[in-house]
Amino acid sequence: MDNNIRNIILEKVVQLFLKIMLIYSVYLLLRGHNNPGGGFIAGIIASTGFIFYAMIYGTEKIKKLMFFSSRQWIGFGLMFVFISAIIPLFFTKEILTGVWINVEHSITGAIHLGTPLLFDTGVYFSVTGVILTIAISIMEVLKWN
Amino acid sequence: MIKILPLLLGLLFVAGFMVVVFYPLLKKRLGLFLAIFPLMIFVLLFLSIKDVNSDYLLVLHGKTEFLKNIFLDFRVDGLSIIFGLLISGIGFLVLLYASWYMKNYERQGHFFMYLMLFMAAMTALVFSDNLIMLFVFWELTSVTSFLLIGFDYHLEKSRQAALQSLLITGFGGLCLLFASILIGQIAGTYQISEIISQNTDFVNHPQYKLIFLMILVAVLTKSAQFPFHFWLPGAMQAPTPVSAYLHSATMVNAGIYLLLRLKPMLGETELWKYTLILSGVITMFLGAFFSMGQKDLKRILAFTTISALGTMVLLIGIGTPLSIEATMVFFIVHGLYKGGLFMVAGIIDKSTGTRDIYVLSKLFRPLPLTSIFAILSLISMAGLPPMLGFVGKELVYVAKIQLPGLSWVILPLGVGANIMMVAISLTIFFEIFYPLKNKPQIEIKYPEKKLPWYFIAGPIVLAATSLLLGIAPGGLNTLVSNALFVTKDQLIDVHLLLWHGFNQVVLLSIFAVALGVLVFVYRKYINRFIHYIIEWLNKYHLPTLFMKVLNTYLHVANKNTSRLQHGYHRFYLMTFFLVTIIIAAFQVNWNLSELKPLSGYTPININMLLLILVGTLATIFAVFSKSRLSAIIAMGVIGYVIGLIYLLYGAIDLSITQLLVETVVMVLFVMVIYYLPNFALLSTRKSRIRDIIISLMVGFMVTLVVLHANAINIYEPISGFFAENSYLKAHGRNIVNVILVDFRALDTLGEVTVLTLAAVGVYSLFRFTVNKKINNGQ
Repeated sequence: MDNNIRNIILEKVVQLFLKIMLIYSVYLLLRGHNNPGGGFIAGIIASTGFIFYAMIYGTEKIKKLMFFSSRQWIGFGLMFVFISAIIPLFFTKEILTGVWINVEHSITGAIHLGTPLLFDTGVYFSVTGVILTIAISIMEVLKWN
Repeated sequence: MIKILPLLLGLLFVAGFMVVVFYPLLKKRLGLFLAIFPLMIFVLLFLSIKDVNSDYLLVLHGKTEFLKNIFLDFRVDGLSIIFGLLISGIGFLVLLYASWYMKNYERQGHFFMYLMLFMAAMTALVFSDNLIMLFVFWELTSVTSFLLIGFDYHLEKSRQAALQSLLITGFGGLCLLFASILIGQIAGTYQISEIISQNTDFVNHPQYKLIFLMILVAVLTKSAQFPFHFWLPGAMQAPTPVSAYLHSATMVNAGIYLLLRLKPMLGETELWKYTLILSGVITMFLGAFFSMGQKDLKRILAFTTISALGTMVLLIGIGTPLSIEATMVFFIVHGLYKGGLFMVAGIIDKSTGTRDIYVLSKLFRPLPLTSIFAILSLISMAGLPPMLGFVGKELVYVAKIQLPGLSWVILPLGVGANIMMVAISLTIFFEIFYPLKNKPQIEIKYPEKKLPWYFIAGPIVLAATSLLLGIAPGGLNTLVSNALFVTKDQLIDVHLLLWHGFNQVVLLSIFAVALGVLVFVYRKYINRFIHYIIEWLNKYHLPTLFMKVLNTYLHVANKNTSRLQHGYHRFYLMTFFLVTIIIAAFQVNWNLSELKPLSGYTPININMLLLILVGTLATIFAVFSKSRLSAIIAMGVIGYVIGLIYLLYGAIDLSITQLLVETVVMVLFVMVIYYLPNFALLSTRKSRIRDIIISLMVGFMVTLVVLHANAINIYEPISGFFAENSYLKAHGRNIVNVILVDFRALDTLGEVTVLTLAAVGVYSLFRFTVNKKINNGQ
């Protein structure tokens, strides 16, 4: 693709698309425990947003946008997963057992917060990271900028 | 007071890991700072000696359960205190010593981290009251010593020595694990104190021989006994502080400790006795014999260590109270003089730049203090009064004479080994220190005045201790008698004396010294003779042989791998499919009329029918399409159809995932499709027919298996459990998600890891091609 040809409409659409996808993926992640959704699905959705962005703006831009490299995001994901796996050990439970805190609130009612959410967040990050690592590697070899 | 021991042990480990933080802060002072930690343990143990009486035993129960029924328990008794004192005391001195010795090395942080962890593992090993934890620490010493021996990893020799020691001691470690599990299974517990107090009869158990064999292999490998002795001389590739520590108090002595610890359970049988005596005698003599022919000071010392280890194994094999007493005293003696001498070797190496005893000369004047205490250590090694070495050697003789029946073999070889020791000590003294020898004075880079006190403190303190204990050996009485009580399970009063009066044993000593002097005088001829033998033995040089076996093994493995991993994707797939089909063909029920779904037939749904129709058409189109893009799109259609079928049956999560994955794959496909070569038919007619047959078989088999899955119900489906407990126990209404993140979280964890590996694989593959292109100048 030639750098000189810019398609402004496409650029704007993709920007919007990325934002929507990210917000939607976080929404899916958070509601995953009770409704369709979850870390894996959310991860794919987020990465789709990023891939489209990268297709238009190139891989350099996407790297800046993500703060860390996609491989580091995999690392964060794995770290979250392992942390949530280890937390129960400090409560004399077996590894990977869910640990829950109940948060009472007048508007939302009782919310159960627990290590599974942390676990799911880890899955979310690592899935996003994996897909983007693969996509960005391919793009870089093809010199997609 | 002693109750804080686990805390201090933990602190030792923590300090090891915290080196990362300490090193940038302290730089050159790191070793001095770290020396505080072993010193604390030493002081604690030293203070607790006064509590020790003949039948003292303290078990500190840990609260942490590592695995089921495996607690971190510590055991304090005479045996572990003796070992612990030497490990922490010499560890303290070694750290002081290393902080100057290592000052010009790079990666000092790494070095001190390994050393601290090694120290911590070894200390924990001797205090551990649990067989499994003992194994863990045992392996930890193997691993850390691997890192220490291979510290100069840019040298091929170091790497090889490190690998050898790791493989050999690691192998022994596995045997130890095996034996520990067997012991635990028989006794019903892994706690050493419980096993001993239960008085389980291992000796007459049918598996006794197996257990003993495994323990034997563990000990022979760790303690460098013949025929596994060859890793120890190689291990002197490590920096000298490590050698000093490895040889004197740690690592190789772990095997001795294990034998003493397990003696109450497994000892006192004919098998135990004769095997240990045999291996001990051979090692004792060979070690002393080979040390005569060496030039390198460190190498000489390494072989004398092998000899000393052989002596200890032999004494444990003899197994009388006197011989165990002799083992204890000899262990202390050996630790004190060997640590000191290795440090001296390092000092000499630093100040002259060589360790060849025939090049070194007249070191007495430039290094007076070091020389005096090195000579004291040499006297201890030769077993002469007034050092503790004399006490130890006398005891060893008494123990050897005592054994009826075998003393005619052991005694001559023992005296022979002692003769060599005397000769070696004399040789080292005359070649290196003697000021009147007519050799040119060696050039000195660092005279003693320029060396810091903590660099020469080690040999001085160790030799002084040896001298002090030699003059007043009574200080060891209660400790040794307690250790005897632990290993022999009987109360024996120990009275150590420097001078027993004139008897048979003293006569033997005088004889050994006289012959030793004779050997020293004629050392040229004897050395030549030994060189002949070494040259002859070099045909069967064990380290080379070991490497050869290893390389052959790797070669065969390599060949096998390249045969299986040929790199042709189509053949991988074919192998996989064919094997699966064949296995399935044997398992499925070929009587198709029996395949009725358990839940009965559901009415035909018009939506379903349409989806299947679309899917089938898309499949046919994909197979016969002439354009790659349209084939891929057709595949995408099939994927979406499957997603919609999931939706029809109410599996929303599954369906969303399927649709999304299909989309992403499609995007990636479209990205690369432009760059792929032209779509062409390259395969021959024959291979196409073969492929068609295989794919038809696969399709048929999969259909059959699916029908089976619907018709057979071996176990109650687990979905009911998930549905019931999903909200109550896991606070989630989305069962699929709850399964993923809670009920089956371990699976998910594994999957995420696999995904990561896949990403790393893809990344490195692409990196590789990119770099290749850059290297080729494209």
